[in-house]
Amino acid sequence: MTLKKYQKIRLIITIIIAAIFSQSISMNNFFIPIVTLLVSTLILIYLRKKVTEVMVDERDKEIGGKSALLAIQIYSWLAVIIMFLMYSLKNINPFYEAVALTLAFSTCILMLLYALIFRYYNKIKMTDKKLAYTTLVLVLFVVMAILSLRVFSGEDNWVCSDGQWVKHGQPDYPAPQIECK
Amino acid sequence: MNLTQDQLAQKVGVRRETIVFLEQGKYNPSLNLAHNIAKIFDVSIDKLFLFD
Repeated sequence: MTLKKYQKIRLIITIIIAAIFSQSISMNNFFIPIVTLLVSTLILIYLRKKVTEVMVDERDKEIGGKSALLAIQIYSWLAVIIMFLMYSLKNINPFYEAVALTLAFSTCILMLLYALIFRYYNKIKMTDKKLAYTTLVLVLFVVMAILSLRVFSGEDNWVCSDGQWVKHGQPDYPAPQIECK
Repeated sequence: MNLTQDQLAQKVGVRRETIVFLEQGKYNPSLNLAHNIAKIFDVSIDKLFLFD
């Protein structure tokens, strides 16, 4: 398989994933996106092995490494600033707290992952990367699944019913101040 | 030895763009890559690359 063909297939798969994700969120079904992501990742890994041309070389890895490090630094700073802003405004809209906590957790997980992966590559030969990639992908899927269920499950919140805010579960914040319509 | 950038890239296991950047002096190769390229042309590394 040529590199161009693989890139076209990857683009099509990405578009399909995006469509399934948006549809699943509107349907309130969050297992379909996780399964879709898993299946598409496996398909792309399989197809990538069929590509005969060089896809990533030492220059890509060098530039990718520098870019990733800078991206992590920028994201972490922005996430922390926005997190504190959102948390300070939680009394205006209780959902801001959920956003702030999501940003906080995601930043912590990102920093932890970076530290673990850096430590791994610092000590172990590059030839063991197959096991490292497999483990990393599995860990990421588990983390994403847990986060999705926790953040989007809709449990423990306030529900608007007949013009009044009614508890659903045990929300740990007061009823929203916005009008219930 | 008449080699296109693509052919040289395939022989040393990099992308054609990397060979282009090497020729333009915009990228410093690893020792491994420099050695592989020198081996293809049957010359020493310092004959191919000038390090500032």
